[in-house]
This record gives sequence, C-alpha cells and structure tokens, in this order.
Amino acid sequence: MSTQFLKGRRNHFIGVPKLIVLLLITLVLALAASCSPKDAAQPGDSEPAAEKTADSTSAAAPEEYEIAVFIPGALAGSPTYQMLADGVKKAAREYESATVKIVEGGFNQAEWQDKVTQLAATGTYELIVSSNPALPEISRRVSSSFPNQKFLLFDGYLEGEENIYTFRYNQFEQAFLAGHMAGLVTTSSMEGANSDLKIGLLAGQEYPDMNQAILPGFKKGAQWVEEGIKVDFRVLGNWYDATKAAEMADSMLKSGVDIILTIAGGANQGVLKSSKEHGSYVLWFDTNGYEKAPGTVIGSTALRQEKAAYEKTKQAIEGNLQFGKAEVVGVEEGWITFLKDDPHFTSNVPESIRKKQTEILEKMQNGGISFEMPK
Amino acid sequence: MLHSIVEIMTPFLLAGLGGLFTERAGVLNIALEGLMLIGAFSAAAVAGTSGNLLLGTVAAVGISATAAYLYATAALHLKANIFIAALAVNLLAIGGTQIAAHLLFGTKGVIEFAGFPSLPSISIPLLSSIPVFKDFFTDHSPFVYIAFLLVPISAWLLNATPFGMYVKAAGLNSTALFTRGVAEQKIKVLAITISGITCGLAGASLSFNLGAYVPNITSGRGWIALVAIFLGYKRPYGVFLVALLFAAAELAAQNAQGIAGAPASLLLAFPFFITFIGMIIFSALHALFLRLQEKNRY
Repeated sequence: MSTQFLKGRRNHFIGVPKLIVLLLITLVLALAASCSPKDAAQPGDSEPAAEKTADSTSAAAPEEYEIAVFIPGALAGSPTYQMLADGVKKAAREYESATVKIVEGGFNQAEWQDKVTQLAATGTYELIVSSNPALPEISRRVSSSFPNQKFLLFDGYLEGEENIYTFRYNQFEQAFLAGHMAGLVTTSSMEGANSDLKIGLLAGQEYPDMNQAILPGFKKGAQWVEEGIKVDFRVLGNWYDATKAAEMADSMLKSGVDIILTIAGGANQGVLKSSKEHGSYVLWFDTNGYEKAPGTVIGSTALRQEKAAYEKTKQAIEGNLQFGKAEVVGVEEGWITFLKDDPHFTSNVPESIRKKQTEILEKMQNGGISFEMPK
Repeated sequence: MLHSIVEIMTPFLLAGLGGLFTERAGVLNIALEGLMLIGAFSAAAVAGTSGNLLLGTVAAVGISATAAYLYATAALHLKANIFIAALAVNLLAIGGTQIAAHLLFGTKGVIEFAGFPSLPSISIPLLSSIPVFKDFFTDHSPFVYIAFLLVPISAWLLNATPFGMYVKAAGLNSTALFTRGVAEQKIKVLAITISGITCGLAGASLSFNLGAYVPNITSGRGWIALVAIFLGYKRPYGVFLVALLFAAAELAAQNAQGIAGAPASLLLAFPFFITFIGMIIFSALHALFLRLQEKNRY
C-alpha cells in the first residue's frame, strides 16, 4: 500500500493535490474578499467597521478614542450581542474621534482570555466593551497585566476593580416576569393550556446565572400565581441542537407541560416546532420573539441592552463613567421589561391574563415588588 | 415512546447505512458529519425557497453526493490523504454553509422560511395494524420509511450482488479485485458517493423536521453514525439495532431529566456512556469470538 502510494507520488501525480489545495485556498480567499465590502456596509458585522461621522457637538471627547467590542461567541443568532454592538456603534457615531472595532471571540470559552489579552496588548483601545457573566473575571486577570486598560462589561458583576465597570441585569426579576406569565397561562382555560400545573424551562446549558437567578426567579413568578405550580427544568447541553430541543420539548409537553420558557439560542427553533405541533405556548427571553411564531409565542421579556450600551459608551467617551463601580439594574430602573403592547400579545392572550400580567409589571416598575439578584 | 425513538434514530440510521458501504470498502469515512450538514443546508435552502419538499430532497441528495464524489476523487484518484480530504469536507461544510447562508439569505444564524412545507405523516396500511410493529409504521415522516427500506436493500446489495462483493473485496483483499479486472478505486469512489446520498437524506430529514435551518444542525450525529457502524458489526441490521439502542438511550435521558433529581449534565452524557459501554462489550465479544474460532481450528 505504502509503496504504491510513493510510486504515485514519484511519477505524475506530484503537485496535483497541492494544486487543488492551492486552488481551494484561492477560492476561499476570493469568496472572503468578495463578501467583505458588503459586510462593512451592514451594521453589526464582524468586520472592523470603523465608523466616523462628523459631529461638532463632541467637544469634550479626547482626540482619538478607539473602542473594541469583544463578542464572546458570534453575532449571528445572538440578539443580545447584536444589540450590544449596535449600541456601541451608535454612541461612537456621535463623536468624530471615536472608532469601533467588533471582534468575535467564538464559542470556545477557553480562548476568550487570550483574545481579550491580545486586544489589551495592542494598546490602541481606550475601552474594551463586552457582555457575558464570564467576562469580569477574565478582565480582572487581563487587567493585572495591562493596568491601563479600561473595561465596560454588561451582564456581569465585579466591584472594586478601578478599571472595570460592570452593568448587570437582574435576571431574577426578568425570569420572575416570565414565570408569572407562565403561571397565569397554565392555570387558565386558554385553548392550549391543560389542567396540569406544570410549566417548562429549557436551558442551553447550566451556568451560575441560570441556576441561581433564572430558574429560581421563574419558579417564584409561577408560584406567585399559584403555590402548586411545578417547573420542569431541562438542559439541552449546547446552544444549537434544535432537533434535540424539539425532542426535549416534545417530551416535556407530553408530560403535562403547556408553556415553555426557552433560553437555548439557535435551538429555540426546535421548541417552537414542537410547541406548534402540540398547540402549546412558548415564552421568549431577552428580545422580542412574538414574530417568531405568532400565536405560539405569547409572551416575551426584553432587555434594553442597546440603550444601555449606547448610554454607557457615551459616558465612557466623555470621561464620565465611574470605573470600579458595579451596577445591578432591574425592572424598576427600566432596563428589563415584559413586552405587553405587542399586537401579538394583545390579540392572542385573553384580557384577564393581560390585565394581571400588566398589573405585576407595573408594580415592579413602581418599586412595589422587587427582588435581589443573587450574587 | 417507541414512536419517538423511531423518529430520533432515523438520521443516525440513514448516515450509518451509507457509511457502512465505505467502511466495507475499506475506507473509514469521517466525512459523514460534513456531508450531512451540506445535505441539511441544501434541503432547507431549496425546499424553503421553492416550497417543494421533493425538490429539496433531490437537491440535498445531489449536492451531498457531489461533495462526496469530489472528496473521493481527490483522495483516490489524485492521491490526497483520505483523512485530510474528509477533514476538509467537514471544515468546508461548516464554513461553506455559513458563507452560502450569508450570501443567499443575509444571515449566519437561524434561517426561517415563511410557509415551509410541512412533512407529511404517513402510516403503512397493513403493518401498522400489527401490535408489535405499530409504532414503527404509524404516523412517521417518509424519511423513516426510506431509512427502514434501505436496511434490507443495503443487506441485499452487500450480500447478494456482484457490486456488494466488489465492495467487500475492496476492503478485504484488493488483489482479488485486481485479478477480476475490477478497478478498486472506482468501487471505493462509488461507495463514498453512496454515503453522500444517504447523508443527504439524513440532512434533509433534520431540516425538514424543523422547517428551518439552524447552524450546526447535525450536532455530531455523523460521528455517532460512524460509531454505530462499528457497534453494528458492520452489518445493516446491526447498524439498525445500534441506532435503535442509541435513540432509546437518548430518549430515556431526556425523559429522566424531567423526573429524576439527577444532575442534567450527567444525564446528557448517558447516550454516549451507553455507546462507550457498547464499544467495550463489542470488543470483548469480538475477542471471545476470535478465540473460539482459533480453538475450533485445532
């Protein structure tokens, strides 16, 4: 076998595989080159989208302010990261001196620290912006080697590092709103609701915020409506296997669940598929999901991540952001809400449920009900 | 219960049966995963835009088979290292589908299609009335029946046709093929192309089931199919049984998450654990079998 192989190489086949490899490389490069100009024109892409627009109002800003947005994952299919990138870009557009570079870190968490270190090591970025519960710790470690690097981090918590500002959403409250809605639906006589007092939560993976804030918040919200409601909590194991998510949702729905809160990234698609088949309901998290499946998605909480990114970036550029501080914001502060005015909500949900859900939302907005975010 | 198992096992079975041909022809086909992904994307893209499932299936099979043929040609005729070529298929499938999705649909994320045709649910008239087989033949997608049909067809092709003999000879003793005047490489290329066809079907079944395309929709099913080939003693009925076992383990683990207080991360590993145990039993039985054979010789 091996001699035959060698013979082949020595005779006339030499170079042909190499030629093919070269051809493939050229092809890929050509493809990449042909897409990049288009990418740069689109908002929120991974290309270094340096955007400058003349604006004379930015007198207070320094001469050159370069911002790197580190996306721990990929922009595609992740609305919260998309909002982050959009918000930062929007802020930078208002200052002539500010430029933004978006860097996608990929899904391998082990590489994030290296990538953030690389960004800090260039020394060109005044500010690194990111959003993930794992980032504060990573930034703290990077900070010890690059003490001048400033960080603006969302969806994470770290207090007392002089160059790191964190802005965390109270996901307990967010999950509480979803749980309350689920509780109202499962106890109702809506067409897709059954007599079992069971609601479902499907998570892509288990992580501290999921186990300590989202799951307990979801339970609390449901039991606010009725004590006996049980939560069927399942973990998919990744954020993309939609087929398995469909199977899991199917298994949940067959066991008496009639409404599922799905937090599983791209795999949410599978939950929608099974829920449509069963005629049951789905709740969306973080972004407006009503359009995904009208009539099936009957509730959606939302984060104001774009607004947060915009405002905090602006403060940072103007030098007003208090680094070292850690903020936790919730429904009362207006950064988390339940989307109650969407036409799909008003047309698919009975008035009595809408009224009760709106009531609890308003109570939380007024500060009448609030929950501590577990640290 | 059994009904869900049958649905879960279909992609494994389809990909496994195709991979079986290449395995018997002496080629470890590690490109199953990539070929399946190519099939899933082509199926969703064509069926989603045309609204025709049949067209989508044909596209999936055609494109996946073409990719398999090109990879086989590069490896066998142009003498590229077959593993590197297969690895290239897997990597190109991930990158290529992303680029294609971006160019065609303007997104690298989930692609939803308005009015994606839903898969018809079919029951086989006579067989579905037999109690034991009821769950195997009631209310399934056509892909389930295609997969079922392919099991005896593969067995027949491998064991009762000259083509099957050539395939097996290519894996066991290529000199025998040479003396017969059959080109070993042609047989291998054909076997790999067959795996492209079934992987195309497997991919199509995944995206049609969802009615959408999700990046990385195959999620390692191609690799599990590869394991199923070995666990199934490289025989079509064996692959069928292993796919059934794996799907049962998968479903059991999913249901257990709802009942038991067992940690989810442990339960998620259960199907792979079963596969691992199966692999050990397989090796042990194989060793025992060889020893017995040795004994009987004297």
